Parts: sequence; C-alpha cells; structure tokens
Amino acid sequence: MAGMSPSERRLQKELMSLVKEPPPGVSVDPDIAERNLLHWIIDIRGAAGTLYEGERFQLQFKFSNKYPFDSPEVTFVGQNIPVHPHVYSNGHICLSILTDDWSPALSVQSVCLSIMSMLSSCKEKQRPPDNAFYVKTCNKNPKKTKWWYHDDSV
Amino acid sequence: MASSATETTKESSTSGSGSGDNSETKDEEKKDDSMFECNICLDTARDAVVSMCGHLFCWPCLHQWLETRPNRQVCPVCKAAISKEKVVPLYGRGSTKQEDPREKVPPRPAGQRTEPDPATAGFPGFGFGENGFHMSFGIGAFPFGFFTSTLNFGEPRPGAAPRGTQQHLEEQFLSKVFLWLAVLFIFWLLMA
Ligand SMILES: [Zn+2]
Ligand SMILES: [Zn+2]
Repeated sequence: MAGMSPSERRLQKELMSLVKEPPPGVSVDPDIAERNLLHWIIDIRGAAGTLYEGERFQLQFKFSNKYPFDSPEVTFVGQNIPVHPHVYSNGHICLSILTDDWSPALSVQSVCLSIMSMLSSCKEKQRPPDNAFYVKTCNKNPKKTKWWYHDDSV
Repeated sequence: MASSATETTKESSTSGSGSGDNSETKDEEKKDDSMFECNICLDTARDAVVSMCGHLFCWPCLHQWLETRPNRQVCPVCKAAISKEKVVPLYGRGSTKQEDPREKVPPRPAGQRTEPDPATAGFPGFGFGENGFHMSFGIGAFPFGFFTSTLNFGEPRPGAAPRGTQQHLEEQFLSKVFLWLAVLFIFWLLMA
C-alpha cells in the first residue's frame, strides 16, 4: 500500500467500496482488478422493466496514472454490446461525462450508474445513425474522438 | 501519510470481510470519517480547503484539478464556479505542525481575516481613544444628550498632542472627566 500512487490509492478505495456495497445491477470481480488496478472489467445487468431487462454487459475501464483528474476510458466489451443510440457496435459510448463533463468527484460507480440510466431510458433499440462510418474510422481510444453530444434525453 | 493509509485500508478490509461483532460501531466511525474526506482523492482532506459552495478538498487535489481545466473552473462536485481566490482554508487543531512540504503546489490561499469594528473592540462603549467621547456616549439615554453635545469638542480631532504640552495635559484632564462621567453614567443606569 505504501508504494501506491495517488491514482492507485483512490482506485483501491473505490474497488473496496464497490465490492462491499455494489449498487443493484453492478458487480466487479475483485481479483481481476487487484491484479492490475488500472484495468477493470465490470458486469452490469439491464434493469428490470427496461428494453435491456435480463441482458448482461461488460464494461471495461482503463485508467491512466492521472486518474481521477483524467477521465477513465470506458467501453463496452465482450459478446454483447448493447444496441443503443449512443453505443457504437465497437463498444464506444457517447456520453459527455466520459470526456468534456468529467469531474474528479465522479467515480467508477457513478459512471456505471450513468451508463445504466442511459440504457434504462432508451425507448428504441438502435445503433447510432453514423455507426458504420464511425466504427470504420475511429481511433481505438474513444477519448480521442471529438464527440458531438446528441441530446442527453435518450 | 503512508502509514495512515495502511491503517485505513486495514480497517476497511477487516470490516468489509468480517461479520464482526463490532462492525456497527465501525460503520458509524467510517461515516464520521467520510464527512471530512476530500471529494477528489477520497482520503481525509489534508491542507483542507472548502469552496464557496461548501465542498471539501485537499488543497493539492483541488489545485491540480484547477490546473487541469484552466478555462473551465468548476466545482468537481456541484459544478458551481470556483476559483483559487475564493476557497477558504480550514485550520484544525494541530494543522500548523504538518510536516509534509507542499511539493510543487503553491501555498494554500490564506484565510481572509476581517478585523472587528474598532468602535466595538476593546473597552466597549467607552473608547476614549481615536473615536472620542461622542461615539461612546451615543448609546443614548436621553439625560446624557446634553453632555454629548456640549462636551463634544473639536470634531476633526487630531492625534494625541505631544507629551508635556499644555494641550496634552488638558486632554488628559478631559479624559479623566469623561471617565468619571462614564462611571456615573453606568452607576445611573444601574440605579435606574
Ligand atoms: Zn484530496
Ligand atoms: Zn460545489
């Protein structure tokens, strides 16, 4: 613990509270994160009564050593990428708190909750209109994308 | 710093894993502790500052955030406008003997000290000094209105006259008179 950087210390704290009291629908494998604190995989479940009820998704968080001043790189990974107007088929998410509106007072937990509420408020399962073009041309890191945020209501 | 971090980790990991018998009290302690956690590093705030919107941070943490987004300085918690000049440092007991140097971070902004109103400071109501008689007796019981107006000499009163001069002696004499009047006034108030 003594040799930890400030970002690792904060991540350690976040991990412990997430393992101890995970919000409904969110779970993290503590071992995966303990092997490398800068790389987490989080399981989320679609909330009951929404279009994603019963579905399971995996979110990947990559942190730089400037976290929490620098936002984490968050993408959907794995077999099931949610079909949603703000989620590209390569897992990239168009969500302003992940770039412009990031704040160091946000956390892994609050990002998960924002993404879950983004899914929950979806009224029609469809990919973003520019999905094909974006997926072909984008950088691997979604933070490199200059996002043009659509309406936040969806 | 490192040792305190180790302690907190130990504590939370034991309370996390255990269905210990004293877990309840531990939880309460934890809640109390988190009241004073920095909103950025989640540790107990060191060199603590509080924003005008009331959010607590370590000064180094907040400073780093303000440097990260120089054009858009907002509170990390509530997005209120925030600036270096407008944060208030918190000084707890023992905060003076903090040994860790504040590395590259500039010193915390100083607290703003507003001096108390000189008229009310010190010997309340009877400042014979710069404020003179008029002010002190302005507290108004009407029989003294007479004295206030008649004895209120030299409105733009210059500083105390040099020692030994006639004026100095006169002033001393007058002060004594006023002091006696003041005593009488209090006496009168008490008797009335
Ligand atoms: Zn801090
Ligand atoms: Zn605030």
